[in-house]
Amino acid sequence: MTVDFALPAAREAHEPPEARSSGRDDVALMVSRRRAAQISHHAFADLPGLLLPGDLILVNTSGTLPAAVAAGGGLTVHFSTAMPDGDWLIELRAAHGSTTIPHGGGAPGQRLDLPGGARLLLTARFTARLWRARLSTAVVPYLLRHGVPIRYSYVQRSWPAQAYQTVFAGRPGSAEMPSASRPFTPQIVTRLVARGITIAPLTLHTGVSSLEGDEDPYPEYYEVPPMTARLVNLTRRSGGRVIAAGTTVVRALESAAGPDGTVTAAAGWTELVVTPGTGVRAIDGLLTGLHEPRSSHLQMLAAFAAEDLLTRCYAAALDRGYLWHEFGDVHLLLP
Amino acid sequence: MKNSPVAVITGGSRGLGYALARALACAGYSLVIDGRDEAALRAAAATLTTGPGTGTSAAREPAGADGPVIALPGDIADPAHRAELRAAAVALGGASLLVNNAGTLGASPLPALADYPVDALRDALEVNVLAPVALTQLLLPDLRRAGGAVLCVTSDAAVEAYAGWGGYGAAKAALEQACNVLAAEESAVRVWWVDPGDLRTDLHQQAFPGEDISDRPLPAAVTPGFLRLISERMPSGRYRAAELMPAGTRVSEAPA
Repeated sequence: MTVDFALPAAREAHEPPEARSSGRDDVALMVSRRRAAQISHHAFADLPGLLLPGDLILVNTSGTLPAAVAAGGGLTVHFSTAMPDGDWLIELRAAHGSTTIPHGGGAPGQRLDLPGGARLLLTARFTARLWRARLSTAVVPYLLRHGVPIRYSYVQRSWPAQAYQTVFAGRPGSAEMPSASRPFTPQIVTRLVARGITIAPLTLHTGVSSLEGDEDPYPEYYEVPPMTARLVNLTRRSGGRVIAAGTTVVRALESAAGPDGTVTAAAGWTELVVTPGTGVRAIDGLLTGLHEPRSSHLQMLAAFAAEDLLTRCYAAALDRGYLWHEFGDVHLLLP
Repeated sequence: MKNSPVAVITGGSRGLGYALARALACAGYSLVIDGRDEAALRAAAATLTTGPGTGTSAAREPAGADGPVIALPGDIADPAHRAELRAAAVALGGASLLVNNAGTLGASPLPALADYPVDALRDALEVNVLAPVALTQLLLPDLRRAGGAVLCVTSDAAVEAYAGWGGYGAAKAALEQACNVLAAEESAVRVWWVDPGDLRTDLHQQAFPGEDISDRPLPAAVTPGFLRLISERMPSGRYRAAELMPAGTRVSEAPA
């Protein structure tokens, strides 16, 4: 059971907030409180005052790759996820006018010619949408040279690569931007620090946004550094709250959490899907964008807030003109 | 042992018909397919049974047919061939799905109606209207018994006025209305007529001879929508394949 609604096109963010308003932090912030079952509406710049000294915000420092490459034969390749053996999970997209839609074809052993003389070998189907594939050259340097950011058609024109990086972005590895932390600016980070709120890094290289659809999940690479694990455990022991900036952070940190919520440093591929059934053990709150109907991200949100509260949140967001997707508004789910 | 459902697909050797045959084979159907080009049909049938897509590992979706694939070369305008198709389906247990996909563009390059050779027009109506209606008549007793479905491939040329498309468009319009009435008459059978959109197929290439049509999607791009129609047994009616794509399908921009 998940929250269901129709998402009108007018509720989709068609451009970055700095293009439609005054800056990347100029987005709306909805706050829902689980215990009080209350919803309030703010600007993102109000965030420092909505959190408490001693709270810890975890951010994903994965940088966004230009992960889309035009292949021969009218196909487009979206590079999603590096696998342990060096293969990548990729999504094949078929041309549909000037746009692309998922390509149902492809066969193991098929080779695709990519720009710059690279060749991509499809090795095996992985999910209904993703293939395992091997590129004839190192993927990340190749993409940095030949790729463009994946752009879904609700974003009406292309934006420079910088629009797809958060202020925390380091090593590139994500197929799509970990966008919950996109509204953070150096000014807001400074105000958070000045209030006694800590920020700690982890990495999860996010794949193509299949999890927005009713689709099989797939593994993603993550790293929780030792100092971040210690800060999480310290925060929990000392009564602070651990706030995940993004669903990717939840997936990574919960993968590194033991049954009692104690977090240890970890790195690897995680297949964890957080739902109300799995619950969350190490995280108290979640800052996230607005998610599509029926998506598994909404299932994850239901681990942080009761379904009737979530339903009210989404009704309020639709009613008040909140904007969806990576350039849209955000939602803070607090205990 | 549970028998797999049986689908009859006309024009299954290439293009959309082949993509649908593959998708249905993956979905567990036994198939009866036909085509006028015997060599192309044999080649298609061979890849449907062994699969170019037979996964070796981590394949969650079987790429080759589990059930049998019967390939019968022939022309759907030939009554004897239509009888063969039904007999083959009966031998497999009786059709529960008929996909009327085979069609002809008519004259190519596309002439204006003012100059349309009437013989070519007659041929377009014969293959695109009379043959699928006749094959549907033949299979209806089996389809009714199975609580099955008829899926006819149509075109936006049936409803839009595109210069040059008078022959094909008029034929597809007639097919659509035949489907519409059939849906009203046959309560036990679903009838869908689906506009697949412009696809990179031989038929589309014939309509635009010498033009580069590589910007059109491959037929396999739209088969998930067709499968949804079948698996969810959606109400009878006219559909566009693009609207049938499963929820969560995101459209993205092609890299320049």
